[in-house]
Amino acid sequence: MSADGILASAEAIAADVASGKRSAVEVVTSFLAQADRTADTLRTYLHRMPEAALETAAAIDRRRAAKESLGPLAGVPIAIKDNICVRGVPTTCGSRILERYCPPYDAHVIERLRAADAVIVGKTNCDEFAMGSSTENSAYAVTRNPWDPERVPGGSSGGSAATVAACEAPLSLGSDTGGSVRQPAAFCGVYGLKPTYGAVSRYGLVAFASSLDQIGPFARTARDTALVQSAICGRDARDMTSRAEATPIDLNDLERPVAGLTIGVPRAILDEAGDALAPSIRAALTSAASAFERAGATLIDVALPHARYAIATYYLIAPAEASSNLARYDGVRYGVRRGDGDLRAMYEATRGAGFGREVTRRILLGTYALSAGYYDAFYLRAQKVRTLIRQDFLEALGRCDAILMPVTPTPAFPIGEKADDPLAMYLSDIFSIPASLAGVPGLSFPATFDATGLPIGLQLVGRPFDERTILRVARAYEREHDAASRVPPLAAAGGGAP
Amino acid sequence: MTKSGAAGNAARDRYEAVIGLEVHAQLKTKTKIFCACSTSFGASANTQVCPLCLGLPGVLPVLNGRAVEFAVMTGLAVGATIHPRSVFARKNYFYPDLPKGYQISQYDRPLCEGGGVAIRTAEGPKVIGLVRIHLEEDAGKSLHPEGREGVSTTRVDLNRAGVPLIEIVSEPELRTGEEAYQYLTKLKQILIYLDVCDGNMEEGSLRCDANVSVRPRGQAEFGTKTEIKNLNSFRYVEKAIAYEIDRQIALLESGGRVVQETLLWDSARGVAETMRSKEEAHDYRYFPEPDLLPLDLDAAWIERLRASLPELPDALRARLVRAHGIPDYDAEVLTETRALAAYYEETAARSGHPKLASNWIMTEVNAVRNKIGGSIETFPIRADRLGDLVGMVAAGRVSGKIGKQLFEKMLTDPEGPEALVQKHGLLPIDDDAALRALAREVLAANPGPTAEFRAGKEKTFAYLVGQAMKQSRGRAHPEKLQAALRAVLAEESS
Amino acid sequence: MPIDVTVVHKIASLARLKIEPKDEERYARELDAILGYVAQLQELDVTNIEPTSQVTEGAPPPLRTDEVCAFGEREEALGQAPDRDGDYFTVPQVV
Ligand SMILES: [Mg+2]
Ligand SMILES: [Zn+2]
Repeated sequence: MSADGILASAEAIAADVASGKRSAVEVVTSFLAQADRTADTLRTYLHRMPEAALETAAAIDRRRAAKESLGPLAGVPIAIKDNICVRGVPTTCGSRILERYCPPYDAHVIERLRAADAVIVGKTNCDEFAMGSSTENSAYAVTRNPWDPERVPGGSSGGSAATVAACEAPLSLGSDTGGSVRQPAAFCGVYGLKPTYGAVSRYGLVAFASSLDQIGPFARTARDTALVQSAICGRDARDMTSRAEATPIDLNDLERPVAGLTIGVPRAILDEAGDALAPSIRAALTSAASAFERAGATLIDVALPHARYAIATYYLIAPAEASSNLARYDGVRYGVRRGDGDLRAMYEATRGAGFGREVTRRILLGTYALSAGYYDAFYLRAQKVRTLIRQDFLEALGRCDAILMPVTPTPAFPIGEKADDPLAMYLSDIFSIPASLAGVPGLSFPATFDATGLPIGLQLVGRPFDERTILRVARAYEREHDAASRVPPLAAAGGGAP
Repeated sequence: MTKSGAAGNAARDRYEAVIGLEVHAQLKTKTKIFCACSTSFGASANTQVCPLCLGLPGVLPVLNGRAVEFAVMTGLAVGATIHPRSVFARKNYFYPDLPKGYQISQYDRPLCEGGGVAIRTAEGPKVIGLVRIHLEEDAGKSLHPEGREGVSTTRVDLNRAGVPLIEIVSEPELRTGEEAYQYLTKLKQILIYLDVCDGNMEEGSLRCDANVSVRPRGQAEFGTKTEIKNLNSFRYVEKAIAYEIDRQIALLESGGRVVQETLLWDSARGVAETMRSKEEAHDYRYFPEPDLLPLDLDAAWIERLRASLPELPDALRARLVRAHGIPDYDAEVLTETRALAAYYEETAARSGHPKLASNWIMTEVNAVRNKIGGSIETFPIRADRLGDLVGMVAAGRVSGKIGKQLFEKMLTDPEGPEALVQKHGLLPIDDDAALRALAREVLAANPGPTAEFRAGKEKTFAYLVGQAMKQSRGRAHPEKLQAALRAVLAEESS
Repeated sequence: MPIDVTVVHKIASLARLKIEPKDEERYARELDAILGYVAQLQELDVTNIEPTSQVTEGAPPPLRTDEVCAFGEREEALGQAPDRDGDYFTVPQVV
């Protein structure tokens, strides 16, 4: 199998499969082979499904032979973050407490992907219950960054980002609560979209923080990102927060030039970040801004005065919701039960041993924030500040079509660097969390590489349900730069394990 | 029962009880409040469950529109304010029958506030105010082993988890167990009239907890309250409240203090006792349910519901008094259910004698219903047939006695009273010749009493009348029979 | 209000989490640091600001119609239980 095969875009693969130029089995086989080479080193998957994937591919090929029409992702392998339910397939959320759990139903996005004739190839590693920024919090494995295996891939959707970066699959799904799609996308040099809250049904996404969680795609091109988003978006009667305003994106829209668009840059935030913002990222941002200006976009300065409170706000709201969402893991109806003695002892042993440190910490934090006597000072106040943060974004986006900002303050950091300092880890989400709280869409696109060869991603934040505009801006940049066409050395064809 | 209670009568008079009730009513929807599982009662364990009501990861609640409609109807019926926006909240606590580890309920922004329920008390009519009515989901069922040796597991059935409930919280305006009983009876009646709840306490579709405190008469502040649970019938509510009032008064009188606690009513022993389990201080950590949107109701929709509400017990009672000229007491009895009132109205119209129709239903019909149980809907005699019967009695076509015989036959024979009269030969005997023949027969069969009468013992005449009436199986026209008897006695002695 | 071991113990109990005593100290330190950081929210004036518990706007979706749709994979779901007695889930007795 040639490198071209696994480097091809999902769009091209689907076209080839639909036209019969390549069979779905051939496509799937080539990606499975790539994953065979790299997945164990990178620890991208918690569960691989080669047999099921080949079966699905064969069925697609048979349907093509029978002249049936195929979906827009025909024969395209896609990897699924392990907090998204796939019927009959282990779905552990990277947690011991769900060690043997297999959901009896498919998530909405899985139904949609199947309907689009995508081929599910496995469940990717993630921070336990999506809580983390490095995928070091998985109970099962530490995923490595394909660009430098000593570094983290980001998190919590680290496995999904890394698998696409390493060309083990052209597409994957992750989930983003405070940056869990955008940050690993930036660390791994791929596209990662956090859709508008409500654009994609959460039915079948294991909840972390319900008012923030969104499923989003990873891909290696802007158009592929749009393709997946179009397949999964829209209203679903099983999620009352899903919205009909989310409609499929016409890929032709992505080719429209950025001339005439206004792009806002939150200068004050960048200034305030000071030394915490890596010079390489600051430079990449400046360079991208000039590129857009040269392409005919108007650049303006936008203020997001309350964004500096985003982390404090987020680390009250998200853990509070999480503490409640994770109450169902009690060892009664599913999952691993521990302890002997009375009911309370069973609960405490099951949950005490079943959850890792980060999850425990956040449950404690959230329980505290909601408990009697602290609710007003913490949770309620955080919700009010959330209002201010959302207002900031809506006002700024009233003056511009998209906001250009960093995704992360630094490129991928070394494994273990922040593992013992939760607050430092939390602070690294400073640029991704604000858009999460505002509920607006954010796209991480690969901009360039730093001097050491680590990818640098930048973020475009858009108006509610206007994913197409930020994808269009990223596509304009991609036409000129195409940072995602570079492949990590260890993933390059013929390359061995590092 | 309080007469023999711990507190003496004199002490009892010095105190006033303050009682508030929390009623949970199961709404009569086909499906659960947040999923499409059936709510039917009595299914075998864990057959009416799905990923949502099992609390599996990843599933989300979708609100049942019918449950909202029923809750709003109830609010409208009791004159509550229906809030155009209410908010669902999570009430967090751990229990094996609570699959998600939280109950979805409403907290600081309930669906309905205010309103009241009118009751009759010894001192006259009284309206018990309502604090609120809110929507919430039921929990499942934990089946605890009952002290069996070596058995240490609790079994959990989640069929009931997620069944829609309304919680109706009264103001602390009830003063006695009897008032509580009246309030519950009235509330249940309203729910049944609305057809939003079947009111069945045995199946748990109506449940009640009582908050009870006492204070010296004239004192404005409330005393410390206790909560009584496990009240499985309205009568238990009444008894348990009386018991607890008495206990608290006796405690205060002996210099003690009431401790805020939860008590369980033991109906077998007639006592309320502290719950054994060590309760940690409740901290439910309520917060707005992020998986559900605020419930926004359209004002026009609410008005349409208001306009389509069925006639409620009080209005129906007043109308029966007005339209049929029956006493208020009769109307109260006849409006027990909407179906009974309809039955009455048809009977009254058919018979042309509303008060007599009322008497027949309140005595004959209700006596049979009390004996065989069951609602008026399943009563064996159709209203039109009963109306015919009442009409026949009223017109003197049959005697009251024959009427009752006919009624008995109609319980098992679907034919109308007229046909039954023919079939069983129950037409009255008022023909003079026939009555005289009957008299002769009876006198011949009773030579002794006949002789006694002739000897001047006037009292014996009643006996002979009775014998003749018996012989006619009640069909003989009473006055004419007497006349015939006297005539025959006279002619035979002459 | 600094977070100490007593507070951690209390909230862990509320959240039904068994935590080793040595870990309680560590969680107390970490939570104290995080809560110290989030205390910056107190500097904002939030008078008259409505809380945002959800960002969803626009017309609410229709409510569900009251029609039964039985879940077909019941055994697949119940089969996930760590312990069962026939069709029942079982748990240690509530003391
Ligand atoms: Mg309740
Ligand atoms: Zn269900």
